[in-house]
Amino acid sequence: MDPQAGPPPGMPPFSGPARPPMTLPNGQPPWVQQQQFSAPPVNGHHNQQQQQMRPPQSGPYPPPPGVNGPPPFMNGPQKPPPQFQNARPSPVPVDSPNRNSPLMMGTNKDVPGPFSGPPQSQAGFQPRPPITMQQPFPNSQSPFPGQGPPPPGVGSQGPPYLQGGPPRPPLNLGGPMQAPPMGMPPFSGPASPPQAPPGANIQYTSPSGPPSFSNPNQPPTSMPYTSTPSAPPAAPLNQPVAISSANYGSALPTPASYSTPAMHQQTPAPQQQPVAQQAPPMANRYPPQNSAQSPVYPSQQTARSPVFPQPTTKSMDGLTTQMGSMSVTQQGFNRLWGNMETYDLMQMRNILPPTKVEAPRVNLQHSFVDAQNCSPDIFRCTVTKIPETKSILDKSRLPLGILIHPFKDLSQLPVIQCNTIVRCRACRTYINPFVYFIDHRRWKCNICFRVNELPDEFQYDPVSKTYGEPTRRPEVRSATIEFIAPSEYMVRPPQPAVYLFVLEVSRAAVDTGYLKLVCDILLEELDNLPGDSRTQIGFITYDSAIHFYELAEDAQQPHMMVVGDIDDIFLPCPENLLVNLHEDFELVRDLLAELPNKFQGNPEPSSALGAALQASFKLMGSTGGRVTVFQVTLPSLGPGALQPRTSGGSKDASPLLNPAIDFYKRLALECSAQQVAVDLFLLNSQTADLATISGIARFSGGCINHFPDFHAASKLHSEQLTRCFRRYLTRKIGLEAVMRVRCTRGLAIHTFHGNFFVRSTDLLSLPNVSPDSGFGMQLAIEENLSDMQNVCLQAALLYTSSKGERRIRVHTLCLPIASNISEVIASADQQCIVGLLTKMAVDRSQSSSLSDAREAFINVAVDVLSTFRATQNMGGAGSGLLAPHSLRLLPLYIVALLRHPAFRASSNVRIDDRVYAMCQFKSLPLDSLMQSVFPDLYPLHCLTDEGALEIEGKVIPQPPRLHLSAEKLDSRGLFLIDTGDSLIIYVLRNINPALCRVLLGANSFEAIPDVMTELPVLDNQDSERMRAFVNYLKEIKPYPPPLQIIREDSKYRSRFMQYLLEDRSESSLSYYEFLQHLKTQVK
Amino acid sequence: MILLTMIARVSDGLPLAATMQDDEQSGRNILEYQNQAKLLFRKLNHQSPPRCTIETGPYLFHYLIEHDVCVLVLCDKNFSKRLAYSYLEDLSQEFNSQYGRRVSSVTRPYTFIEFDTYIQKAKKSFMDSRSRRNLTALNTELQDVQRIMVQNIDDVLQRGTMLSELDSKAQNLSMMSQQYKKDAAYLNSKSFYVKVAAGAIVVFIFILYFWIL
Repeated sequence: MDPQAGPPPGMPPFSGPARPPMTLPNGQPPWVQQQQFSAPPVNGHHNQQQQQMRPPQSGPYPPPPGVNGPPPFMNGPQKPPPQFQNARPSPVPVDSPNRNSPLMMGTNKDVPGPFSGPPQSQAGFQPRPPITMQQPFPNSQSPFPGQGPPPPGVGSQGPPYLQGGPPRPPLNLGGPMQAPPMGMPPFSGPASPPQAPPGANIQYTSPSGPPSFSNPNQPPTSMPYTSTPSAPPAAPLNQPVAISSANYGSALPTPASYSTPAMHQQTPAPQQQPVAQQAPPMANRYPPQNSAQSPVYPSQQTARSPVFPQPTTKSMDGLTTQMGSMSVTQQGFNRLWGNMETYDLMQMRNILPPTKVEAPRVNLQHSFVDAQNCSPDIFRCTVTKIPETKSILDKSRLPLGILIHPFKDLSQLPVIQCNTIVRCRACRTYINPFVYFIDHRRWKCNICFRVNELPDEFQYDPVSKTYGEPTRRPEVRSATIEFIAPSEYMVRPPQPAVYLFVLEVSRAAVDTGYLKLVCDILLEELDNLPGDSRTQIGFITYDSAIHFYELAEDAQQPHMMVVGDIDDIFLPCPENLLVNLHEDFELVRDLLAELPNKFQGNPEPSSALGAALQASFKLMGSTGGRVTVFQVTLPSLGPGALQPRTSGGSKDASPLLNPAIDFYKRLALECSAQQVAVDLFLLNSQTADLATISGIARFSGGCINHFPDFHAASKLHSEQLTRCFRRYLTRKIGLEAVMRVRCTRGLAIHTFHGNFFVRSTDLLSLPNVSPDSGFGMQLAIEENLSDMQNVCLQAALLYTSSKGERRIRVHTLCLPIASNISEVIASADQQCIVGLLTKMAVDRSQSSSLSDAREAFINVAVDVLSTFRATQNMGGAGSGLLAPHSLRLLPLYIVALLRHPAFRASSNVRIDDRVYAMCQFKSLPLDSLMQSVFPDLYPLHCLTDEGALEIEGKVIPQPPRLHLSAEKLDSRGLFLIDTGDSLIIYVLRNINPALCRVLLGANSFEAIPDVMTELPVLDNQDSERMRAFVNYLKEIKPYPPPLQIIREDSKYRSRFMQYLLEDRSESSLSYYEFLQHLKTQVK
Repeated sequence: MILLTMIARVSDGLPLAATMQDDEQSGRNILEYQNQAKLLFRKLNHQSPPRCTIETGPYLFHYLIEHDVCVLVLCDKNFSKRLAYSYLEDLSQEFNSQYGRRVSSVTRPYTFIEFDTYIQKAKKSFMDSRSRRNLTALNTELQDVQRIMVQNIDDVLQRGTMLSELDSKAQNLSMMSQQYKKDAAYLNSKSFYVKVAAGAIVVFIFILYFWIL
């Protein structure tokens, strides 16, 4: 990587792509200078200052002062807080080796004999005594694999531990090389100690960018400081960063900050102190200081800038030579043995990588090293190495399962049409890249190991049109493939796309104004509905009666028929209720134009949803298709009528999470059998008992969209509905689909999550499948897998496209086997684990209670960290809270989950919102799910072209992602939070007017309008950059989420503030407090 | 009452178009007839009679082969045969004019499923006995439908199996005869060797007797 790119925030914010640092002072706009000034949040000498400063802080931000939580976070990056020092018994500042020792024990000490410490290890491994809260999911259908039989005693733990020994040498081997410095920062090789002192402060600032906003400015600012002492000290400046980027491949800056406290304390740091005092870490937040110091700044900078280049170049040379060999070997080790760095969570404040958290790579054995595995966006497992036996899995305490996003929109997908689809004769597995070819004529199934014959035509390569090796076939080259099915795969002729819109028109519904909006969108998108010339469409409206619309071909206008007998619903006429869209286009348009007016001022208050659904089922039953229901109120009449439910004062809301009646579920199952899917749009402001009525969508393979308190007059609401509904109408649709997941013998799928009905033991019936729905499955290990090298999972989705083609989409994932716990832990996929945990927790909160689910989350974190600690062979060394690289973000995600509306403890989450969030967890694909769990926070005021993406000639800046904490907010910046279904730009009070003018077109903070939902198009580079970035965020989502621009003093402030998930709130712990809690629990 | 309409290519029985059945009354058992129809398509070839009626349970299959395309309809026994054939002819003509050229090149089942919309319309007009178009069609297409062969579905479907049985038997027979031929040749040569050996022994003994003694 380009060394300059090494420190991610290392470039001036608004300067051109490759502007030499020299030009810094001139090129920078005024506001940058201010920021720059405050950039070096260097040393830890400012405790007092910080404390003084706290009051202003607590004004705008929720974390109250004096609580444990925020303070450590606030000063976190700048200085190890007192708590932190207490946490570790010997924070010996001088003797750094000692300090590192606990860690080195893990990596080093057991070098000669991995077994030297069995007693220790056993003691360490002793899982938390299995009491009370440790059975997170014991009763539910789907226990955590790990929770089953808690290892009873030392005896049973011994062997696996010994088993664990042999593969560990990698680690130990790595020891001697990495030994001395390795303890803490994985990259800091033998060369680092001497460089540490001066490097320390830079390590602080540049990679982690504690005062969030100032990232790009830091190297320039901090360099001048360091350059004053002498040239060599400046060298480390780039070094750690460069190395870390080499090590992690993704310029993960975190380890840098991780190592700092130690180094920092070593230094007498005489030169640094003045600097630090000049620029207190928190200065950026506090205008007074700011203004006082800013005048000094420009001169400082100009004075220093000439000095600046020299150290860098020098440093670069020295560095690369010094560190080259080191990083290479380490890289090699990492590659060979998996990323086994450990992180002390208590010390690592900036654990969140600035770039997207990538899925861990699956490393297969050499035989399949070239074979392309299924993309992690489509198919993911919670571990990238499957444990060999159930006992290893249980000991690792990780949930085992897969997440699938089978119908994802793909940019390229090989489609194959052939007479016979090659499948295993025994288990019906589709041929895939991971089968074994015995010879040219035979292949061995990788799921059931049966040897099958190849048909002759399989040797024919359709691409080159020649005969030859079977391995050239696309089926064997691509893990994701689509077949056009021959007629054996059709029970009946492929159905046409049939769309039925069922709209509530009761008084409350009409009052929201949704009807006009929906009809207008539908009118515009009629041409874009997926389908062919057979596409059919129909409409039903309902209040206390059901209204049908006959669209006879020869009629002049639509004919409305009202059926009042809702208890025994019937179709008023046999045909013309569903009509061919293209032949009756005019009538449909007339109807859509007329509908909103027809019900204007409709006084009918009640809604007969159940009867309307029954009518739709009768209408669609013969063909199947999609029913779209817009519901606004609680269904109050006829079959499926509901009473408003309250929790009756009891704190536990779990009865409300379950359906009150099973009418909707039963109807959904009937629909599912007839290939009818029901999608629900709920626009309620009063409670509508989503827990009950969502059954209609959950079991028929539909989707649920919830717009609480919807009113068309609100621009935000209407925009959200418009975009969501537009996407809904135009996205691909798969009809009469079924999905089956097969897995290698020895594994078994036992619990399914998502919206579908499980028809036979493993066949998921999906009347409709959409590109926005994901599925989860839990796996169990039933047999010993030790005689295999890898296991395979294959998901096959058979569906009818809207063009009447029957297709099969096959995804195959191949995972290697791991034989010991540490390997399994190192291979964990934290995001996938979170994805699966949410699904399990939803089940849990429905079957048991919400608090159980919350407890289970915490237990997962405790279990995982305890296990890791045990595998680290650390014994009783009471150091920080260690986490492996693969799971380092898990506690962070769990903190966020505990604050998510689905699992929040507070009782002020409305029940429908909670149920909706839960439904989303069950059915969202992983990327959207993660975004809703842990939104992305970006600083928007310092977009640079550095590291920018270039898509279709447009440069899209990629600002670093920040921790969701008020600590990261700079009062002079503006920040974007991306939650997946909304984008919020938050403008802080002290934003520089110049910045305001350039980016938002307002002359000052006060001039920013209260309601702003679009970025103004301004003709300057910064505005262009920002718009490019925001548009990019919109484009990578299924549909562009609405944008809100909120001022710090706006009444909508809480919309943004609620996403600062790492700070303390009235009902939940901050991230740091949570870590402290974990630390007490982890044994 | 027309229950099911299907169009397939004769050469390999690939289904090209079909109506979605409205299985309100007839329910799921239509599926069974649909499978029969698919089997039937596979049995058909260019030698098959171009028009034929096949009995199956309470229903009749009528089919019509034109331009390498077979149009088949399933209807009640009491449904007018004449009407059924004029319906088939209508469909066949329309299908040929719309897709006739592409029939031989397609490989995907139900490639012309969009023809369904036309089938639906034709069905509606033919089912409506009052429809004038219906009557004129009957008048102009007045022809002798009595000659059309009536067969039973089981016979048709099993004719193939009988043939294949015969075929396999004949194959068996030829294999057996070959085996016989081989065996006979072997026996023949064996007896020849035995004779030669016996002669040689006699000569040997003879020589031994005279020369050595």
